[in-house]
Amino acid sequence: MLQIDHLTTADAKVSLDDVSFLFEAGKIYTILGRTGAGKTELLRALMGLNPLTHGSIKLDEKDITEEPIRARNMSLVYQQFINYPHLSVLDNVAFPLRRQGKDKAQAQALASTMLATVGLGEFLQRRPAQLSGGQQQRVALARAMVKQSRILMLDEPLANLDYKLREQLREEFPRLVADNDESIILYTTTEPREAMELGNTMIVMHNGSIIASGAPAELFANPSTKDTASVISDPPISFIPGFVRNRELYFNEGHQAPSEGLLLPEDGPVTIALRPDAIEPDGAFNAKIGLSEFSGSQTIIHLDFDFGRAIMMVEGIETFAAGDDISVSIQSEHIMLFAPDGRNITLRNNQHG
Amino acid sequence: MNKFYHTLKTIFLLGWSIFVVFPFLWALSTSFKDANAITSGATYIPWVDFEPSTQGWTSLFTTGSQGINIVGPFIDSAVVTLIASLVSLILGTLAAYGLSRFEYRLGFVKNSDITFFFISQRIMPPIVLAIPFFLMLKELGALDTIFGLVLVYIALLLPIAVWVMTDFFSGIPKELDEMAMTDGCSPIGAFFRVVLPNSVPGLVVAGMFCLIFGWNDFFFAFTLTFTETQLLPVSIVSLNSSVTPWWSLSAFALISVAPLACVAVIVERYMSRGTMTGAIR
Amino acid sequence: MAKIVLENLGHSYSANPNGEYDYALKPVNLTWQDGKTYALLGPSGCGKTTMLNIISGLVSPSHGRLLFDGQDVTNIPTSERNIAQVFQFPVIYSTKTVRQNLAFPLECRRVAPARIRQRVAEVASLLDLGYALDMPARKLSADQKQLISLGRGLVREDVSAILLDEPLTVIDPQMKFMLRRKLREINRQTGVTMILVTHDQSEAMSFADEIVVMKDGLLQQSGTPEELFSRPQNDFVGYFIGSPPMNMINLEARQGVLATDALSLTHQAPTESSNLLYQMGIRPEHISLVDDTVANIGVGIIKKIEHLGVDGIVTLELAANVIIKAKTRKHTQMTVGTAMGINVRHNDALLYRDGVLAL
Repeated sequence: MLQIDHLTTADAKVSLDDVSFLFEAGKIYTILGRTGAGKTELLRALMGLNPLTHGSIKLDEKDITEEPIRARNMSLVYQQFINYPHLSVLDNVAFPLRRQGKDKAQAQALASTMLATVGLGEFLQRRPAQLSGGQQQRVALARAMVKQSRILMLDEPLANLDYKLREQLREEFPRLVADNDESIILYTTTEPREAMELGNTMIVMHNGSIIASGAPAELFANPSTKDTASVISDPPISFIPGFVRNRELYFNEGHQAPSEGLLLPEDGPVTIALRPDAIEPDGAFNAKIGLSEFSGSQTIIHLDFDFGRAIMMVEGIETFAAGDDISVSIQSEHIMLFAPDGRNITLRNNQHG
Repeated sequence: MNKFYHTLKTIFLLGWSIFVVFPFLWALSTSFKDANAITSGATYIPWVDFEPSTQGWTSLFTTGSQGINIVGPFIDSAVVTLIASLVSLILGTLAAYGLSRFEYRLGFVKNSDITFFFISQRIMPPIVLAIPFFLMLKELGALDTIFGLVLVYIALLLPIAVWVMTDFFSGIPKELDEMAMTDGCSPIGAFFRVVLPNSVPGLVVAGMFCLIFGWNDFFFAFTLTFTETQLLPVSIVSLNSSVTPWWSLSAFALISVAPLACVAVIVERYMSRGTMTGAIR
Repeated sequence: MAKIVLENLGHSYSANPNGEYDYALKPVNLTWQDGKTYALLGPSGCGKTTMLNIISGLVSPSHGRLLFDGQDVTNIPTSERNIAQVFQFPVIYSTKTVRQNLAFPLECRRVAPARIRQRVAEVASLLDLGYALDMPARKLSADQKQLISLGRGLVREDVSAILLDEPLTVIDPQMKFMLRRKLREINRQTGVTMILVTHDQSEAMSFADEIVVMKDGLLQQSGTPEELFSRPQNDFVGYFIGSPPMNMINLEARQGVLATDALSLTHQAPTESSNLLYQMGIRPEHISLVDDTVANIGVGIIKKIEHLGVDGIVTLELAANVIIKAKTRKHTQMTVGTAMGINVRHNDALLYRDGVLAL
């Protein structure tokens, strides 16, 4: 297991701010955050590429904070396809094994097995420059995995690939890393859906620190802070300022908000969060249609209420003209309330889970 | 309109080519002349205007008071240039790697200042250094020696190596070094195993520039050597006297230039830096 | 404003093309109406960027003609085509303020200063960047910088079309959403035709009135998002549009019908026997999952459930080892290993013969 405590860096652009976490063996952690949240910086600090101003890193109880990069038992796959241009694909993957002291024959045998696993058995003698983007990333992945290091880190590895290729590799990814019972896998991404799909455990980062962690479904259902809810949601969640008065919930201009099943806090300002599934056609609220977008077999409608903007998702393909009026209902079971300091203060009468 | 420009271009290029190539052709033709060929005015084409003779060429390889020795100066030039270039290349490449990968700070002095310091040495007029170098070599007892000249040439060629290689290394992504280190190399190991093999074009260009500038130098060779050590550029000039053997001189000049011409051809092929683009999409 | 017509437009980078493979873009015929939004969608190397470059004038096509409002612009240089282009990475003048960036194209064209001020103010308010006009452009976020790039195209009053070459690549997912809305609003308010090049099908689907799907330089299908989604003309479009891709189930000819052991859905078999591959294509969104005791056309065991937020993807194994994926909002109530009943409307199960939609 990997224990990190109070990691702090002082980089020019994005710094880590007192990051602590315990990573357990055999698990895949997806690290989700916006650009500039600190995901790459975290991986680089663990690898030793970025210096720490404060904090410690312990791998299996051993403090490796001061260890040189080559002694850290970690591998890294970059977002930009990094392979050694002067070596063949086979030698690329054999490279770390040779540095470990294995002789050429042994290293090449292990490398070619790994390359077969990632589907590149036919390309052993090619140079990386002769391969497509997806293939180059597979070489990088094979080289990272062949070392069987304790920690395998992937920094947005699919970000530079086409949408469909990304979808395909994402599908394959669990199979590719399946033989890693003892390893800890860290995978960073900016795409919420990718993070939720790939990880046993999801870690949410924002402004250089970890703001949430847990099972993806749990984090989605109950984000602990407003920032977490904002980063996790795709399509985006809508935040509307509101307040509680006399045990009733209101949207900012005084429009009554539905609050069935919600245990409201004391009188005062709150932020009301509406997930796309919170709004359904036909109801008591009037809105103007800002835009309707097609998304697979669903239509996403941007609504402009008197009190703010929100997004509605309906099944099926419906054409809505921008500027039209529409009346909708808002389901309180998909509303969340956040305190002014960002904490999730949603409490329901029939709390489950 | 296009036709006009096209003709203009062709005329200009043709003219310029003739202007550039003519001296060599003239020297070539002159090198096959002897005294008879020039007595009645200038002559140009062998066999048509005059009878060619190999006197110019053979005289270069005969020693003694009648002969002009080219072999000695050629070897001296080669030794000095090669040693100085090699040392400059090695030290310069290492310095360039440091400058491109690490951050140095001494008070207000940063990497860019250090690089500029190197480059500025080539901006300085050489004559400024003539007397200081003379005095230094005199103290060292190294005047008129190969050793002394090599020292001075290293000082002159090192900035070129640093200049070319710093620029080249900045085109090799740092992530490649990092990857090598995560794969088990020490920083020096990363340099030798990964960065250097991918730097061959840069090394060739830097090396060739060092050779060219070293071989061509007249000023310092002239100031710091006299009899024991003679370099080619100085030797040529010393052939000038009241009775100048033009044919030998021409042959001498052509032989001096020949190695550089080969070097230039090689440099041209390596000038493109296409090899690095495959590593990063 | 321009109606854009591609007449037998094709391009080969080699001087003497003698086979399909020599063409980066095989000849196409397309008509694009004025004022709408279009998307050129396809994987890397499909020819979409070549097509965009032909429209903008950076590449002169080796075959065919390009017409703007009936006028042949095939050989007219880029600067005279009234095209604005937004690139993958924001292109802004980093030493200037936002105002100066927006004003630059007009200054180059010697527009009167008063008119420049007015135009810049109009465009800035359209982009919601009015408050940032006097800020240095380099201090803005990536999506704001892309809006500036777009704004530089919009300030010019003679712009007939805006070409966007994968403009949302560097933008975060949540911002992409907002930016797409903004682009659509701008299109509606200004009536300027917008053509977007992308490899991201969700982007194309949400942005465009009409999508052109391409592969290997060849046009696969052109139509509205709905058409491409509900009736993909071939298996590539079925795969490329929609996430997850369309499920393709192999069919066998049995006693006059095409059937599979996996589902009890059949299609009329062809009269003449052939060795062509027949498949049934069903979109994950068109599959409804019910309890296995309720009437259904097939039963599958849940192999994997992926929670993706509001909805989720369920992978099921049907009879005969057929694996399909279904999209549902009820994924939180399902567990791996249980059997579920499948229901699909007959209209949603499309027949493909050798990869092409059979009517």
